[in-house]
Amino acid sequence: MFLSKDRLGGLLLLIFCLIYAWQSQNIRMLPFQMNSAFHARTMPEVLAVLGIGLSILIIVFPSNKERFSVSGLNWPLGLAFLVLMSIYGFTVRPFGFLLSTSVFLMAGFAMLGERNIIKLLFVAVPLVVAFWALMNYGLSVFIEPLPFFLRGGSNA
Amino acid sequence: MLDGVLIGLATAFTLQNIAFVIMGCLVGTFIGMLPGLGPMSAIALMIPVAASLEPSAGIILMAAVYYGAIFGGSTSSILINAPGVASTVATSFDGYPMAKSGKAGKALAIAAYSSFSGGVIAALMLLLAAPYLASVSLSFQSTDYFALMVLGLSAVAAFAGKGEVLKALLMTVLGLMLSTVGTDQTVGVPRFTLGMIDLVDGISFLLLVMATFALSEALMAIIKKIDESKRDAERKAAAELGSMAVSKEEVKEMVPVIGRSSVLGFLIGVLPGAGATIASFLAYGTEQRIAGAEKGKLFGKGSVRGLSAPETANNAAATGSFVPLLTLGIPGSGTTAIMLGALIGYGIQPGPRLYIDQPDVFWSVIVSMWLGNIVLLILNLPLIPYIARVLAIPARFLLPLILFFSLIGVYFVSFNTFDIQLMVLFGLAATVLRLLSFSLAPMILGFILGGMMEENLRRALLINNDSWSFLWERGLTLTILLIAVACLFVPMLTPMFAKLRKQTKGQPSAD
Repeated sequence: MFLSKDRLGGLLLLIFCLIYAWQSQNIRMLPFQMNSAFHARTMPEVLAVLGIGLSILIIVFPSNKERFSVSGLNWPLGLAFLVLMSIYGFTVRPFGFLLSTSVFLMAGFAMLGERNIIKLLFVAVPLVVAFWALMNYGLSVFIEPLPFFLRGGSNA
Repeated sequence: MLDGVLIGLATAFTLQNIAFVIMGCLVGTFIGMLPGLGPMSAIALMIPVAASLEPSAGIILMAAVYYGAIFGGSTSSILINAPGVASTVATSFDGYPMAKSGKAGKALAIAAYSSFSGGVIAALMLLLAAPYLASVSLSFQSTDYFALMVLGLSAVAAFAGKGEVLKALLMTVLGLMLSTVGTDQTVGVPRFTLGMIDLVDGISFLLLVMATFALSEALMAIIKKIDESKRDAERKAAAELGSMAVSKEEVKEMVPVIGRSSVLGFLIGVLPGAGATIASFLAYGTEQRIAGAEKGKLFGKGSVRGLSAPETANNAAATGSFVPLLTLGIPGSGTTAIMLGALIGYGIQPGPRLYIDQPDVFWSVIVSMWLGNIVLLILNLPLIPYIARVLAIPARFLLPLILFFSLIGVYFVSFNTFDIQLMVLFGLAATVLRLLSFSLAPMILGFILGGMMEENLRRALLINNDSWSFLWERGLTLTILLIAVACLFVPMLTPMFAKLRKQTKGQPSAD
């Protein structure tokens, strides 16, 4: 089978290595570096050559010929979680730690099958508040707890 | 050496540090017991907490988490046949059959006593070997360090699985590539930042570790459909442990196994790249071979020797892997690579100077190993029936919590939301690579060693007036590089030779 696990992985990494090699040529060279044996581009260039060579070897001589298949895997759910994490990254500052984290956890529990709203609230909210208190008072790590519309004065 | 031990005792035996050892062991056991999460994820999750502590306390905490996670991994191997990490796979060969026959408590006790003995004996060997090796390595120059790092990276290939050499090497190169992102430290030129200010300082080590281990573990569990009927069996196994008593005959059987496996495990652990997995399998295989026909038959069916050997060896190897870290500043395993990253984060450069410049850190790590093993034995073992209840937490609650702790762990260090987005990207890439059976540990090793390797090579060239001749002119450098070349090519050529031999045997003789 042509697109075995090894070949697919090798192909993806080959693309990455080619982009890396192309980007390595954008590294600015300072005038005094031009004739030195080792400069800012040396290591990236060597790595790019090694990476491209190894990727090609894996594609040509795959050790694992098992075909990659997405059947039996819940890809949409995995992608949904990635989107959820990304949204959490965008909301944790404006909406504050308590609200954004509670919503993130409740959404996560619900996406994995928990339908009881009481359970969702009673697991997520106390845990988030306790964690915030532990970080804030226990380890002196401050993170804004409240959303922008509840913050007073200049913080809003 | 006695002075050093006293320094270590004085540092480790403060109320605060003892509390950290206890906490670390409990948290490590708790995390390590969760199927899929191993010592690397456990340490990665604890780095943000450790970062807020002083270096000795932080390292003591992480070492305790390490031991706790190995112990926790053994517990899930024995109770539910779900090794969290490769190093406890061999434990499940005899531990799980023993648990299935209603002796789960006994199996856990044997595993705990073996782990304890392996850890304590290996810590004693570390105590004797580390200062000696550190004093020897004081004479090392940057050229030797560069060669040692090449050896460390090529050893990854030597110990990769059958047919996995090329993949392990490519992943190492990928790690090295990621280490070049950010400002070039010598001339201050930005590299691969794509014009983004957030990448000027490079990729955070913690971010990469969290994304590739903790985050991708949770994502893997999410995309592979959860079998709740299996989870019910796990809950039942955790609830019925039985007696934890070990008979005199069983102790007699364990003692020589522990002695042999401790030495074997420690020596394997010292080799860069080898680690606890190989040690546990080797110890299991060795004991099976020398057990004799009658006892050998019991292996795989609940043998005391078969359980004791890998458990002793994996703990001894975990301790052994600290030797290259503490004496040369080169991590011997993925876990010690994470520890190295954490030490660098503290501004501490592990290596021969650590022994002289920061003896409190050096010795407190060694002393905390004993302390950690004692805590595991006297505190964790009796608490196992309660800690095992973690297995009863439904996956639908557990997995989002792991994701949350991974994300917030990174965010609490940088307070930069760009890091969360970068983590999501790396988490996706790591999950895809895992599904394609590409191991991520060599990548972490490459990432950690990349910066140091480039720096040492630059320094070596500067000292040698831009001449590469140091590679063959200095005897020590050349020897280490030759060993590295052997590490690279022997595993690649061995299957070819075997194939050739097979073909020659199959063909009729020419004469």
